[in-house]
Amino acid sequence: MRSGLGRHAFPLGVVAIAVAFLGLFFLYPLLKVFGASLLDAQGTTLTFANYLSVLSNRFFLQGLTNSLTIAAAAAAFAILIGVPFAFVLARLPVGGKPALLALAALPLVLPSFVGAYALVLLFGRAGIVTGMLQSLGIPFESIYGAKGIVLVYALTLYPYVVLPTVAAFKSVDVSVEEAAQNLGASPGRMLRTVTLPLVLPSILAGGLLVFIEALENFGVPFVLAEDKPILAVEAYKLFVGETASNPASAGVLGMLLIACTVAALLIQRGILARRHFATRARGATPLLAVSPPMRRLGAVYCWTVIVAALVPFATVVVVSLLEFRGPVLQYGLSLDNFAQLFQRSYRPLTNTVLLATLAAAGAAIIGVPVAYVVVRHRSRLSALLDVVATSPFAVAGTVLGIGLVLAYSSGFLILTGTWLIMVLAYIVRKLPFSVRSASAILHQIDPSLEEASVNLGVAPLATFLRITVPLMLGGIVGGLVLTFVTVASELSSTVVLYSGPWTTMTVAMFQALEGTSPGVASAAATVLIVFTVLPVALVYRLLRRHELSML
Amino acid sequence: MTAITIEGVARSFGVLRAVDDVSIAIRDKEFFTLLGPSGCGKTTLLRMVAGFCELDRGRILFDGERIDTLPPHGRNTGMVFQSYAVFPHLTVADNVAYGLRARRIAAVEVDRRIDHALKLVQLENFRPRWPHQLSGGQLQRVAIARAIVIEPRVLLLDEPLSNLDAKLRVEMRTEIRRLQKTLGITVIYVTHDQEEALAISDRIAVMRSGRIEQVGEPRAIYEQPATAFVAEFVGTSNLLRGTIQQRDGEMVDIMVAGVSVRTRAAAGLVGDRVVVSLRPEALSLLAPGEVLRAGWARIVGLLSEVEYLGPVTRFTVQLADGSPLRLMALAPPATAGEVIVAFDPGRAIVLEGSA
Repeated sequence: MRSGLGRHAFPLGVVAIAVAFLGLFFLYPLLKVFGASLLDAQGTTLTFANYLSVLSNRFFLQGLTNSLTIAAAAAAFAILIGVPFAFVLARLPVGGKPALLALAALPLVLPSFVGAYALVLLFGRAGIVTGMLQSLGIPFESIYGAKGIVLVYALTLYPYVVLPTVAAFKSVDVSVEEAAQNLGASPGRMLRTVTLPLVLPSILAGGLLVFIEALENFGVPFVLAEDKPILAVEAYKLFVGETASNPASAGVLGMLLIACTVAALLIQRGILARRHFATRARGATPLLAVSPPMRRLGAVYCWTVIVAALVPFATVVVVSLLEFRGPVLQYGLSLDNFAQLFQRSYRPLTNTVLLATLAAAGAAIIGVPVAYVVVRHRSRLSALLDVVATSPFAVAGTVLGIGLVLAYSSGFLILTGTWLIMVLAYIVRKLPFSVRSASAILHQIDPSLEEASVNLGVAPLATFLRITVPLMLGGIVGGLVLTFVTVASELSSTVVLYSGPWTTMTVAMFQALEGTSPGVASAAATVLIVFTVLPVALVYRLLRRHELSML
Repeated sequence: MTAITIEGVARSFGVLRAVDDVSIAIRDKEFFTLLGPSGCGKTTLLRMVAGFCELDRGRILFDGERIDTLPPHGRNTGMVFQSYAVFPHLTVADNVAYGLRARRIAAVEVDRRIDHALKLVQLENFRPRWPHQLSGGQLQRVAIARAIVIEPRVLLLDEPLSNLDAKLRVEMRTEIRRLQKTLGITVIYVTHDQEEALAISDRIAVMRSGRIEQVGEPRAIYEQPATAFVAEFVGTSNLLRGTIQQRDGEMVDIMVAGVSVRTRAAAGLVGDRVVVSLRPEALSLLAPGEVLRAGWARIVGLLSEVEYLGPVTRFTVQLADGSPLRLMALAPPATAGEVIVAFDPGRAIVLEGSA
């Protein structure tokens, strides 16, 4: 009875564009990976042989076990480090909390494989600390393998646990805790029986993020695993192929990675489904009154964690400024390493800035309208859109990269080897963050503000531009910067997709790792650190802490 | 300025019939209130007029011209939201100017009208202020100024006072009524506060579960409630079951709580079971030795509760069948134990159906 289409043109248009984009550059590539895993060597007949051969191969099975154990251990250690940290930050009267929180979040924007590389610099076979220990006659076991990888993950990914858990500790309704104490529970018992169960969903959510990140990470195992098989790395090796590319087996490993992530998500859902607590703090949850020694202990704990997490990065910066003669450290200050790094060209740096800027803009242009539709036009369609737009998070960068290559190296659209395919991969990968951060802001904007504008005679699209966008601006800028930064340190899909002229800083560093001199690699790492920390520091005031937890 | 016709309007959300076949004719310059408990559909109905909620069925007309097919930004209604919805990134002046600028009105004229509107809501000196510097009451005034400055065909107010404290609420409602009279504008006002509705409305529609229970002037709503729901929702009421024993033209004799009460009732046949509504203030306690007024009815009961409320005192009397009877009087009772409740039978209202 009315022109319903006109009124729904905006949400329908957004849904159409988002679905087309994700269909072309996310679902279709994944389908290609799935297809490759089901085709025989000639690529003509359907077969389960690839799955059988991979799953009966000791080496790959070991890779699956390694990936899962490392990811689970990383999540467990991140929780062990992160929960007490969050508790101190949320509930104890320690000083310098804004600084603590900012420094705790910092590892999320730093490239984790730089942390891994720092560990090699310090504790590797030719590491600084290893050398010192050996000269003192103290035997030192190698840092390579699972324990090194888990250590790097725990120290770079623990903020994923800290950020949501701080928020959860702060939102616990204090009257529930008072009720527990009133009923005779000691503070310790209250924490164990009331407070911790209430924040458990947030802890698990954080742990899940760590698990997924650790599972998909390519750079850290590449630096530290040596000959230990890790799924994400093996998929890359099979696909890029030192001898011949094997998309079928790479596809199987990709599917295994996705299956692991989905299983983890389902387990988390299953645990949380039976525990649904909507507590709402009536005011700020008060700080606990603890004795001065306890308070000092809390502060010391937090600073220790922060120092342990950030020292590796600082080491890399220092090392990059030292002089090397071949692989030998000279302990003299010099900018030679940077000169050597940029000796051939500045392209990697300009590429990184250009690609990250384009990707950040693209993710925002698609993500903000998607978030708007998801939050403001509730329907089954928009709920589906939310799921599809956030699912790239569960897909490893290597797998997405392989899919994009499979999908777009021939046929109706040829993109392989271009900058565009890299930008598209980045947009797809960062879209979940873009959508989540934009919808978090939108949830805080009263919809009646938009209705008031429409009521006063301003059409919906103009209202979106004049009321909604200005109110979201701080958040949008923050989101842009965070997308930029995480794209700048992206390695797992870049390494599959880059081509010579489009070498990025991460690839430059990746290549330098294989060289003999740690000087160039650490210079590249330092450039990456500067280009990730600086933008974040500049807009830090604009960022909401909880957004960091969704990177 | 505008008469509003709402014809057979309906809207469902899933299985819930939020607005269920509602028809109302609102007169030009009328202050019309939609009154009802939360979830009765009053806000949905208001949002249908504003255009924020689509109609499943029916039509809405302003002065005989259909408007429900227009987009919300083309209806020229001024809406005041429950949360005020004052734009936090604009100053008071820019908030008020927002609708004027959307209408491409010349800057000089915009300026003049901002001043005029702010004067009407007594915020003359607040032009450069930011919303976060204002109190709840002041935000409310900005929201009203912003809505009236565009000279809307109708002014829509969605529980505008529910976020204010009790004293300010009374002040603001008087001011809204004064403003409506000054501007001579048609108002639809949504509230769940019956006292507010009675105080300021020309007419009230009492709503329940998406339907209109009764439309009428405040006195009619209070004194002649059409249904048991209206009698209970608007003010408080004692609802007693009774049976019609005799009909004599417009008058009926009804047996209620063991006494025969003679009152007016248009409908109902002899033998029908009915509900009789008695307002607490229509009842009084007979002091010892006081003589029952001629024609009044009396019911005997046990005084069970006394609540001293300051200006008035509330009593509860337990009747023989166990049902409570609430009364209101100026003075605390002189007696205890068994008491006699007296009332003018003419003030007993006969309602059909069950309570």
